[in-house]
Amino acid sequence: MPNMVLNNVRPFVDGKFGEPTKMCLVDGKWADSAPEGTPEFDAKGALALPALFGLGLDFKEPLRDDIYTFKDGVSAMRRGGFFGGLYESSANPIDDSQKLTAMQQLASKSGLEFAFLGAFSMGYQCKDLAEMMELAQGGAVGFGDGNQDASRTRFLRLAMEYGSMTGKRFFFMPLDDSLRHHGLVHEGCYSDTLGMKGIPRIAETIAAFRILEMARFLKVPVHFKQVSCGETLKLVETARAQGVDVTCDVDIYHLLLDDSCLFDLDSHCNVPMPFRSAEDREALWKGLESETVKAISVNHDPVLRQDKEVNFEDAVPGAVSLEVALGAIWKPLSGRLGAARAVELLSTAPAQLAGVEPAALRKGGQASLVLLDQDRPTKVVPAMFAGKTRNTPLLGKELPSSIVASYINGVWTEV
Amino acid sequence: MSALEIKHLFGLRGVSKHDIRLILDNAKQFREILERPVKKVPSLRGMTVVNLFFENSTRTRTSFELAEKRLSADTVNFTSSNSSVKKGETLVDTLRNIEAMKIDIVVVRHKGTGVPKFLADNSDAIIVNAGDGAHEHPTQALLDMLTIEEKLGTLEGKNVTIVGDIRHSRVARSNLWGMTTMGAHVTLCGPSTLVPRNTELMDKVTWESDVKKAVKNADAIIALRLQKERMDDALLPSMREYRNTFGITHELLECAKDKVLIMHPGPINRGVELDSEIADGENSVILNQVTNGVAVRMAVLYLLAGGRANA
Repeated sequence: MPNMVLNNVRPFVDGKFGEPTKMCLVDGKWADSAPEGTPEFDAKGALALPALFGLGLDFKEPLRDDIYTFKDGVSAMRRGGFFGGLYESSANPIDDSQKLTAMQQLASKSGLEFAFLGAFSMGYQCKDLAEMMELAQGGAVGFGDGNQDASRTRFLRLAMEYGSMTGKRFFFMPLDDSLRHHGLVHEGCYSDTLGMKGIPRIAETIAAFRILEMARFLKVPVHFKQVSCGETLKLVETARAQGVDVTCDVDIYHLLLDDSCLFDLDSHCNVPMPFRSAEDREALWKGLESETVKAISVNHDPVLRQDKEVNFEDAVPGAVSLEVALGAIWKPLSGRLGAARAVELLSTAPAQLAGVEPAALRKGGQASLVLLDQDRPTKVVPAMFAGKTRNTPLLGKELPSSIVASYINGVWTEV
Repeated sequence: MSALEIKHLFGLRGVSKHDIRLILDNAKQFREILERPVKKVPSLRGMTVVNLFFENSTRTRTSFELAEKRLSADTVNFTSSNSSVKKGETLVDTLRNIEAMKIDIVVVRHKGTGVPKFLADNSDAIIVNAGDGAHEHPTQALLDMLTIEEKLGTLEGKNVTIVGDIRHSRVARSNLWGMTTMGAHVTLCGPSTLVPRNTELMDKVTWESDVKKAVKNADAIIALRLQKERMDDALLPSMREYRNTFGITHELLECAKDKVLIMHPGPINRGVELDSEIADGENSVILNQVTNGVAVRMAVLYLLAGGRANA
């Protein structure tokens, strides 16, 4: 493992960033000293955060390795400062133990920490149950059917009832397909002005309510991915107060963007869960403050250029985020909630949700970290991205902060 | 010649009063030319216009084609049914291939919102929107405005009521932006499943659910075409009920001014949104709209091409 001496760096220790100091990174750990001749790096006062954990990773391999590969994803994670992630692919349902083993083998070569969600139905079809017991025994940390709508309520009941034997959490992106009805964007004043088919908030809340009732009935823990509106958070709070074990995350882009971006008709803003109104965006921030929201997710979803370089409605939904997430969100997030909560939302809580030991910086301990120059803006350019995709709504925009480098499980990556 | 501030015509939202005035005034001059025995002028001689229609259209495409021919432009028609699009070519590739053939203006119709802007972002050609999804159909609104000005002298202070499927109508959207910019009072009326729910950004118009109230003070009524698919999609129970509640009938017009103009973007579903005797009656200006369509499109093409030539 390469070693590195960081000079003039401010590590996040015991809930705060210390004064500029020297960190000796030896064999993946924060050591007291480094062997002679260890390369040195002047961090110029950059922050050293515990490396992040990404919720919602989809690297497309094996069935769509023409779009993106696991290797691309790992490279993106190192560039973005992620030590691990929760993997769930829309292209490759992990619906049997062989598929799980194959993904685990891919992951094991990466030097990063991956957790996998198993599918609860074969092929995400909501028709035949996946072998959830075997998946759980093989290491699946929870169950989810990608971003598919679990609107076949009886099947949902049976899947959760059967899956309850594993004690694992069920993950859902709550969106009722019938109410969605080919909509791609939030149903609001922007979609109505543009004449675009909208997805009403009730498509989310009705789906969420159905799942919460099921969770209450069956006593199964559930998680909502990419909650996009304040009403869903109220449902979560109410259910939680009544004893339902429910957690939720919000997507990084939903904290940064709202449906006013639709007027640009940028196909990069076509994402599976639509950007909702400015009021909803504010409600999500309040959900972070009140701790109704457990974690911030990244939902890294590569889409080929030719599938985004079309008009909005014909674009394939999805956005990549690993390379830009921290630079985009750190300043607004730490500015509003404080550095400790920001680290919790981006690193500690997502890892805990996936059952992975979170990264932490302690002298003598493992040191997976990301260096961030929080006051140096950076422009989002195609060269920042691993692989051949660069489908982010932030392309061409300026991020308030810049990632300088990462040191993850002993691998140094300069950005 | 005064120049347009816009370089392309994507829609009428945000287009200035100056530009709309300029287009309408030019259209009036072209309208006069269309009354002459020789209806052709050499304004666009040497320029090539491609009519890129990804949705079926007879009227609008014919109207544009006539406008182009009367301006002496070379015209090429490109429809999705007989094109490489059927073979899987992307929109950008289609455009770039056409552009490589040295065209100057693209008139585009597409089911996707914002396709004209997308094409402008990816090409050097002048783009004219001939209808994009339910977003905008600016030349239809301009010809509606021209027709009202021709009959009533001005749009300023006039009451224009648009009845029908507002939610899915690009004609209604373009009209509400254009007409309010020109000082008209616009009232929109339709069944609750066919009007937008979120109208905060469309606050310069009046939303009225009672069609009798909506037409009461109208100087012009525009009836929108009702698509049959709306019934299949359970947005309405039947054509019959629609006709009885929102159709423009003699009974309804008893609530309106005697000389109210009756307009329709065509093609008409007779006996649904508009009764035959009204469509063919003395208040109907529907065929004037068709004639004005050619004049307005001539004006748009002429002014946009002129802007490029003067740049």
